[in-house]
Parts: sequence; structure tokens; C-alpha cells
Amino acid sequence: MSALLLASEAAGHAAESLGFPLLPALVLIPLVGALVILCIPAERDDTIRLVAVLTAIAAGATSIVLLTQFATGEPGFQFQSSATWIESLDIKLALGVDGISLFLVVLTGILFPISLLATKPDHNPKGYYFWLTALEVGCLGVFLALDLFAFFVFFELTLVPLYMLIGKWGHGRRVYAATKFFLFTMVGSVLMLVSIVAVAFAAKAGDGGTVTFDLVKIATSGRVPTGWAGALMFFGFVVAFAVKTPVFPFHTWLPDAHTEAPTAGSVDLAGVLLKLGTYGFLRFALYLFPVQAHDFAPVLLTLGVAGIIYGGAVAAMQKNLKRIVAYSSVAHMGFVVVGLFALNPQAIIGAILVMVNHGITTGALFVLLGFLYSRRHTYELSELRGIQKSAPVFAGIFTLVMLASVGLPGLNGFPGEFLVLLGTFIAHRWWAVVAAGGVIIAALYLLWAYQRVFHGTPDDANARFPDLRFSERAVMVPLILLIVGLGVYPKPLIDRMEPSVRALIVHIEEANPGWVAPTSEHGNDLSPVVVPAAASGGHEGEAEPGAGAHTATAEEGR
Amino acid sequence: MSSYLPVLVLFVLAVAFGLLSLLVSITLSPKARSQAKEAPYECGIVPGREAPERFPVKFFLVAMIFIVFDIEIIFFFPWAVVFRELGGYGLAVIGIFAALVFESFVYLIGNGALEWGPRQRQRRAEIVSPDRTLTSTIRRVGAEGRPAALEPAALAPAAHHAPGHGDHGHGDHGAAA
Amino acid sequence: MSSLAAVLAQAAPGLTAGPAAAAPTPTITVPDIEWTALLPILVLGLGAVLLLTLTSLARGTVTRSGYAIYTVLVATGAMATAAPLWGRVHAWDHLGKWELSPPYGPFSAVAGAIGVDGFSVFITLLIGVAVILGALLADDYLRREGIDGPEYYVLLLLSATGGVIMAMANDLIVLFLGLETLSIAVYVLAAIHLKRVQSQEAGLKYFVLGGFSSAFFLYGVAMVYGATGSTNLVQIKDLLAVKVPTHNALLLIGLGLMLVGLGFKVAAVPFHSWSPDVYDGAPSPVAAFMASGVKAAGFAGLTRAFLLGFGQFASDWQPVLYFLAAASMLVGAIVGITQTNVKRALAYSSINHAGFMLMALQAASPKGVTGLLFYLATYTFMTVGSFGIATLAGRTGDGHHDLADYRGFSRTNPALAGLFVLFLLGQSGFPLTSGFVAKFGSIAAAVDAGSWHLAVIGMVSAAISAFIYLRIIVAMYMAESDTEAAEKAPKAARIKVPFGAGLALVACALATIGFGILPNGLNRVAGEAEPVLVKEPVPAAASGADGAGLTGLDLTTIPTTPTTR
Repeated sequence: MSALLLASEAAGHAAESLGFPLLPALVLIPLVGALVILCIPAERDDTIRLVAVLTAIAAGATSIVLLTQFATGEPGFQFQSSATWIESLDIKLALGVDGISLFLVVLTGILFPISLLATKPDHNPKGYYFWLTALEVGCLGVFLALDLFAFFVFFELTLVPLYMLIGKWGHGRRVYAATKFFLFTMVGSVLMLVSIVAVAFAAKAGDGGTVTFDLVKIATSGRVPTGWAGALMFFGFVVAFAVKTPVFPFHTWLPDAHTEAPTAGSVDLAGVLLKLGTYGFLRFALYLFPVQAHDFAPVLLTLGVAGIIYGGAVAAMQKNLKRIVAYSSVAHMGFVVVGLFALNPQAIIGAILVMVNHGITTGALFVLLGFLYSRRHTYELSELRGIQKSAPVFAGIFTLVMLASVGLPGLNGFPGEFLVLLGTFIAHRWWAVVAAGGVIIAALYLLWAYQRVFHGTPDDANARFPDLRFSERAVMVPLILLIVGLGVYPKPLIDRMEPSVRALIVHIEEANPGWVAPTSEHGNDLSPVVVPAAASGGHEGEAEPGAGAHTATAEEGR
Repeated sequence: MSSYLPVLVLFVLAVAFGLLSLLVSITLSPKARSQAKEAPYECGIVPGREAPERFPVKFFLVAMIFIVFDIEIIFFFPWAVVFRELGGYGLAVIGIFAALVFESFVYLIGNGALEWGPRQRQRRAEIVSPDRTLTSTIRRVGAEGRPAALEPAALAPAAHHAPGHGDHGHGDHGAAA
Repeated sequence: MSSLAAVLAQAAPGLTAGPAAAAPTPTITVPDIEWTALLPILVLGLGAVLLLTLTSLARGTVTRSGYAIYTVLVATGAMATAAPLWGRVHAWDHLGKWELSPPYGPFSAVAGAIGVDGFSVFITLLIGVAVILGALLADDYLRREGIDGPEYYVLLLLSATGGVIMAMANDLIVLFLGLETLSIAVYVLAAIHLKRVQSQEAGLKYFVLGGFSSAFFLYGVAMVYGATGSTNLVQIKDLLAVKVPTHNALLLIGLGLMLVGLGFKVAAVPFHSWSPDVYDGAPSPVAAFMASGVKAAGFAGLTRAFLLGFGQFASDWQPVLYFLAAASMLVGAIVGITQTNVKRALAYSSINHAGFMLMALQAASPKGVTGLLFYLATYTFMTVGSFGIATLAGRTGDGHHDLADYRGFSRTNPALAGLFVLFLLGQSGFPLTSGFVAKFGSIAAAVDAGSWHLAVIGMVSAAISAFIYLRIIVAMYMAESDTEAAEKAPKAARIKVPFGAGLALVACALATIGFGILPNGLNRVAGEAEPVLVKEPVPAAASGADGAGLTGLDLTTIPTTPTTR
């Protein structure tokens, strides 16, 4: 823990030497862009589109710069910057990035320009581009915020833009889907707000009596409550993230939202917004509540596995192509949750990899579905067949992306899922065994869907299916490069994530005395949770020794 | 919180008692309805005519104006009792009070509360809408000059550009007086 | 009871000695009047009377917007006279180039009947803002509806006078005086639309129920007087700090009755049933003022009476406020989502907001008061903005408030629809609007005071009530075939925004965004607006001017229930 703090300070100095406030710029670029769009008259839609695309590209470029400047091997937060927001409660607009959030920021930076370029809205472009750009502000803010209040603000900020995008530019039952999405997420996040306030006030005694919403300060204060109160706060966070992710019983908004959303909305929803939930688990639930995260891990593991199996099974039964992809997202997010709550470095790294790669592949899938919809105006499997003959390039790209989604070795879906299964197998063998079944189901439903859409003899409408245009192929190129590149050589990602993830694991271990993260390095070779006999009783629902250790670690942290 | 428990118990008991009494009386009471019993006056007098009668509203106004002075007098009495002790301060205070109360009388007079007989002044504000002119009213009431298919806009008294005064713009509501 | 009398005689000799000493030589001490403290009240009240007199004497000679401009000027004047009070309370040497006269710090005036502290000045300014916004909204509305005349403005100023009196009351009788001045004016305001039956109905309903609640309040004051022998909050507080009445049932009943009266004014469940009907029936600008100014005054009364006067009894009234807050938040949200009339929906959302403010109040802490004031200040702008849109969208007759009337509103009136979305999002507590910071402050106060379950209830209700706002947004932006609706209905034509209303709406929008993004300034001011009870300095003792008799809000010393059982 102390190492984490020290490292973050050191990194802070390192970032200062750069001299340019990269992170504020990253949040401000889309914000300014959105305001500019608001000022342009609605008739000049070409200008609006240009501004929106340029804004997204600028933000993307900034995120790439961030990637190149990132100091590999540093576990703590880098490029930290902060500004006071509300004095009386010590609320700051604190931003920072570490190995956990870095790639999600870059993913956001890449996916938004692609989603903008891939499609055009059918009406009212001004509002469409405004809300999309505003959505990017929220997404980037969530991944960068180091202050609980600021995090919540950004977390909520994503809500209205997506609500508007689905409700106004969506298909079919768009108002129903949008309202359902809004209310589900809202209910989850309001409980989190209470938890945020509660945990901040619970931790305030540790910081000379003043309230703070600083993530690191609260997490290292050692005063995050254990026992009942702590569990309730933990679940306040968990419910919010579980709805957003979505974890199995809270998932019902997702298929509707995905199906009715416009293409860009779907891409960003699947690619970025679902990661807000899983990122929240990692950054807040695990970091703030290490004791509860450890105690309740089996619950979340079970929900994750249930999501994998349920998502896969339901996806296989769908008749709508977009719904299949939506349910596959539920399954993939199940993998992420399983990986996170396996609580060992391999699984967590794997989970982050799945987050990033799911963003790329599912984003790509939705872009492709958008192309399909613009030609055929349907997602129904019964309407589509034999497209392979009329559009071979489209079919080829679709195959590649789909195989990546299935988790074919060599493509980007594989390393993450493999690491998750590996890590989980070490920690909780039987969950891993069941989860592995999900991979098979994924292969089943995606290949089956592929067969129905692309094989067979095309009827009239499908025979005239035009292949991808040049601009459309150009949009797909970066995604394909990423899919292949990250599949073959994911090491650069893992190198940057690993120090932060290990620091997190150390943090959790310190909070749970007597518990050691089950990794193969400890010589536990594939046996389930082998804990030294002396300490094995230590974590079974005993809050008191844990609390004692807390104060000890808090002193250490100072 | 637990100290409020007796209140809650009492509340429940009170409600239960009320409901029970009603229920018992409804179920147990003998019922013998007859026309005479349900008449307004059960004691035999047959109502001859409707009770409410119309008389000029000005009577009410005078009664209300009287209240103004009534209130003033009510406050004058206690002041008069301690007139000497209060001295100049009291005189000033009661003077302000009397002036304020008298102000309402000025308002009433200003609004013509004491003007009996036919109305001398029509309050412009009470005309339904500045858009409504003599022509449009005639159109509205009679069929004269009305187009065969009734336009919905012509029915709404407020609709702008009602037929009949086409040059009547948005901005000149005031001119309609 | 005799022991109580002895206690009284001991604790407040001045009180019981009064009538006894009066028998031989009747000497009535004339109170020393601090005119600067009364200036805001005087400016508002005399401004109203002057307007009424002038227009009675010379009817019809004032230009049409003259009344509104006059009202805005009077309210601005009242706020300007309140500003030096703020400086004096916070011990500034001078305000700009204007030397402020000592004594510094919060003080009492008019024989302890009026208390000037940060809190009362803050509420005074807030009511001034509500009056200005109400006058701006009403200017075109009254002309449109053909009810233009000075009456609306006179009543607006008079009710504001009552509100300011409530905010400054240090005595329960003065509080009642303010309450009645405020209420009676608003009863008439609610019924001022002579040609709308709903308006008449609203006025009558409000009057009857309001009369009841005033009676409750007065009865409560009588009970409190019976229990403590005084209606002056300072004396009550001092007495209760020294002696605990052996039979406090009388006092508790009095507190309960007072809570009923004030709870009615702020429309807290279960005293809320009037508000949807009245908000719907009353002219829209009046509803805006009721939701902003009247609510602020009601909460000022609650704070002064309960938090200041009966701070020691916090453990007795906190559970009751807890229940009121929870019920208001839940009922406001749940019943609100079933409404199909926008004004009624706004009324229920206003009930929901009252719950949030009660939640801040029941924390009984400085943080709670700050949260309450911040909430009141931001809510004023949001609700006036919302009702302002309703004023314009209601069109002539003030009757088009159905959700169906808002279909396609974003097409016909994009600017108004955009503003409405802003106000609605603000009310739902969406980040980067002032509503979010306000809700956050309220929750923070509640959690800090240990009632996190209430915070959970509140946030769940916020999520539910979001549906109210979503329905309106859906109607405006996403109604199926909204183009058709826009073409079909001639009434959905473009609305010409009059200057005054436009100004008010823009001001509200700027405040909603501004306090959402940069809440620091308002938050600091709200934090400094601390309610304090100050004893009237005894002239002979010549106790130091700065806070010798200060019995402020000191939460650390609030004892546990002073029951003796």
C-alpha cells in the first residue's frame, strides 16, 4: 500500500516533467467540441459532422500520446492533476491514469472516431453529434477520475447522452429501451451515491477529521468500515456496477438497449460503456473494499459464471442478429467479472484484456451490423441468407471479427479469456470449469448465426447485397489490425498493466491478513485455494482481527 | 423512536374503534325508510320555495367595507386604554396602522366599490380577449360571413389570426382596447 | 404545574414579573427599534402599499410593464438593504465604500422579536430573487390572460414581506404573523385568474386548508407558551437549557402542532394533498412563486422554530421529521410518475424536493442547514424555470398542461424545450446541474448525522422521480410521429417568448448550470448563513456587543432526550 502511494507520488513528479496537462486536455477536448457543435446552426450538418469527427480524432490522438508517454513498470497513478471543485467537502477534480485504466482510455479514444465515421444519423444530425461527443466526455472522465465525487459525476454524465441517442435515433421500441436503460442505471447509481458519501464520511476520521473524496486517501485510510456497514456500502457500489456491466440478474436492459440503439450508440455502448461497470468493480469495489471483495467473491464469481452460461444459452436462441451480439456481451462481461473476483494477478490481467478486446471486437461487430442494416434494414436472421456470395469482403471481415469474439487463438479474444480461465482455475477450480463451457457455447451460437446469414443460396434481396465501399473498408482497417495484433502479441499491454494489478493484489492481501492471492507462483500448482493452516481461519467472516490490521496498515501507509 | 410506540398504538386503536363503531351501527341498526323521513324538514313543514334568493352583490361589498373600519376600531380600543402610557410612540404606531388599514378603503373606492347603479366604468381587463372584436363576436355567434367548413381556429377565442381581422398581428394586443 | 411556574419565575424573571409589576404603576417600555434590521421588510411592505395606493388613486395611467418593473425595483431595493446586514452579521468593516456601523455579528432587534443573522439574510435574498422572477414571468402572462392590474404585484410583494418576517422571526408570534401575511396574500394569488374555474377552486382549497394549518400552528404556539411561559425563541431556548420541564407532554404536543402548520406550508407528506390541485389550478407564475418563495419561507420558519428554538429537543422531533422526509420523498416520487398533467407532475416533484430539504433539516447540524439553504437556492431557479416554461406553454387560458400538449414541443420550440430539459434534469439531480450538488449536500448531511437509511430512501425516490421528468422529455422529444403531432395541432405553433419571461428563464438556466459546475461560491455563502439566536442585549448590563448572549447552533451540546421518565 505504501508502495502504491510512493509510486504514485513518484509518477506524479514524472508527469509534471512532461509539462502538458494531458488528462485535463483529454476530458476537455470533447467537452469543447460538444459546446462548439451546440453553437453551429443546425442546417450546416456537414460542418457539424466535421467538427465531431475532428474532436473525436483529436481526443483519440491525445490518448495515443498518453500511451506513448506512459511509464511502463510504474504501479501508481501517472499524469496526476487535480483542481479544487467544492471546497467545503474537499472535492477535487482529480485525474490520473495507471496500468488498469490506460488501455480503457485508449480504447475509448479509438472507438469513438470509428463509431462516428462508420455511420451517419438519419435525422437531426446536430443533436446526434452533440450527444455522442458529450458521451465521450463522460466515458473518458470515468476512466480518469481519482475522486469519488468526480467519478460519480462522469458516471452519471454518460446516462443522458446515451438515453437521448437511443431514444431519438434508435429503431423500433426505442423509447421503451431508452427509458428502461435510464431507469435501471439510475437506480443502480443512486445507491452508489449514498455509498460514496457513506464511505467518505466513514473514512474522514483518518485524515485529520476532514472529509475527503480522494480515492487513494480513502482506500489507504484503513477506516473503510468492515462488517455490516461495510458490506452495505460495498453492495451499493456493486449494484451500480452490476447494472452497468451488466452482471447476470441485472442484464435485462442490455439486449433492448443494444437492439434499438443506433449503430454508433451500440458500438460505444458495447465497446466503452459496459466497461464503466467492470472498471468500477476493479477500481472502486476491489480497491476501496478489499475485505468485502474477498469475502463476497464467491457470490460474484457465481453471478459471473451464471452470466457466461446464461448469456451464451440465450444468445443461441435469438432470431435477431443484434440481440445475439448483445447476449454475447452479457457472456463476455461474465468472463470479466469472474476474472476480477478470482482475485489473482493472472485473472485480473486477463479480465482487463477481455475488457479491451471485447471493446474492439464487439465494436467491430456492431459496425459491421450497422453496414448490414444500412443495406437491408433488418437484423432478422430469417431475412438474411447467402450474403457470402454477394459480399465476399464483408463476409471475410465478419468471419475474422466473429472468430476473435469466439476466442480463437491468435486473435485478440483469446489471451484475455485464457488468462481469466487460468487464473480462476488456480483460485476456484470448479467455477473455471463451468466458465470454460461458455467458450464452447460462444463458438456454437456465433458460428451457427454465421452459417445462417452468410451460407446458403441468397434470395432476391440478399443477392443484390452490395459489398463494402472503400470508406467502410477503411474504417475497418484499424480494428482488424488491432484484432490481429493484440491476438498475436499482447505482451505490451500486459507489461503496462501488471505492476498496477500486482499493487492492487498486494493491497487486498494486506487488508485480508492471512490470505494470500492464489497464484501459480506461490507453488500452489493448480490446487484450489491452499492457504497456510495457521491463517486459514483468519478470513472467515471475522471482522475484528481485520480491523486491527487495518489500523496497522494505515499507519504504514502514512 | 421507540418512545413513539404508544402514539402508534393509540392511533391504531382510535382508527379501529371508529371503524368498528361504524360497522356495528350499519349492521345492527334497524332501517325503516319512508318519504317523510327523508324530506329536508322532518317535522311537518312542507318546503314551499327554494331557499336561496338573489339580491344585489353590493350589499356584501358594503358589509365587507364595514369590516375595514370594524378592525380599526377593535385595535383602537386597547390602544385608547393605555393611551397616556404609550405616549407619542403609541400615537405614531397607531397612526401607521390606521393609515395602512385605511389604504384598503382607498383601494376599494378606487375600484368603484361604492358606485351604485349601472356601472360607470367597465374594467377593460374583463373583456374576454383582446383578440375578440365586434366582428369576430358576431361571427362567433351568428352564421353571418362564416366559411362553410368551420375552422377550429375560429372557435378558440384566443387563436391568433382569427378570420375577420387578418391584419391583427401578435404584437399589438394593447391596441385592442 | 406549580413547580413549572416556579421554574419559570426562576429562569425568566422578566417574564413573570411583567404583569405582577404592572398593577401599581403601569410602565410600558417602548422598544428600541433598529430600523436597519427592518429595512428589507419595510421596503417590501411599503412598496406594496404604495403601489396599491398610487394605482387606486390614478388608475390606468401606468404603462403596461410598469407594475412589473416597479416590483422588480422594489425587490431589488429590499435585497440591497439586506446586503449591508449580511456584511454586519459577518463583521465586515465596510461594504464597498460604505462604512458599516457596529455592533458586528448577528443581533436581535425590536425587543428580541426579530433576529438578523446570516440565515435570515440569505432567505431574504432568496425571497427577493423569487419575487423578481415571479414578476418577470407574470408581466406578459397577466396581459395575455387579461387580468393585468396592480393586484398581482401588490400581493406578491406582501407575501414576500411575510416570508421575510418569517425568516427573521425570533418569536413564535412574529413567526405566525409572517406566516399569515405570506399565506393570505398567496390564497388570493392562487385565485387571481378570475376566468379559470380551476384557479378559483385552487384559491378556495388553499384558503380552507391553509386556514386549518395556520390554526394548528397557532394552537401549537399556545401549547408551547403554556409549557415554557414564553413565545420568544431565545427565552425558550435559555429556559430549556437551564431547566427541563417535568411534564413535557404539553411542549411536545405544541411542537407537533407547529410542525403540522409549517409542514403544510412546505407541502410535506401527509400535509401535501392541497399542493397538486393548487399548483395546477393557480396561475403558472403564482405556482412558480409558491414552489420557490413560499417554500423558502416555510423552511425558514421550520429551521428557526425547531432547529434554533428547540434544538435541545432534537431527539424528539428528528424522528418525526425523518418520517415526514421519507414519506414526502416516496409519495412525491411514486404518485408523481402517474401524473399526466405537467403542472401536477411538477407539484409532486416539488413534494419530493421538500422531502430532500426535510432530510437535510432533520440532520440538525450546520452541514444540514448549509445543505438546506443550498437546496432552496438552487431549487428556486429550477422550479421557477420549469413553471416558467409551463407559463408559456400553457398559452392563453393557461390550460394546455397535459403531457399530450407537449408532444413535438422540441420541434416547434427547440429553445424552450432545451431549457425545459435542463430544468428537468436539474430537478432529477443530474450531475453538472445545481440539482445534483444540492441533493449531494442533503445526502451528505443525512449520512453525516447517521441517518444513511434516509439517504437511501431519498436516492431511491430520486431514481423513481426521474421517471416523471423522463416522461416529459419523452413527450417533448421522442413522441412517436412528433412531426405529425406538430402539423396536426395548430396550438402547437411556435411560442413567442416575451422579454420578461425570457430574461427570467435565461437567468434560471444560467443559475442551474452555473451552480452545478461551480457550486463553490454559493456553497460558501450558504455555509456562512448560519442561523443563530442572539439575546437582545440588556442596556444596563452593557454586555459586550460581540456575541455575549450568543446561543447559536451548537450541535455538540445537543443533549439526549430530556425526558425524566
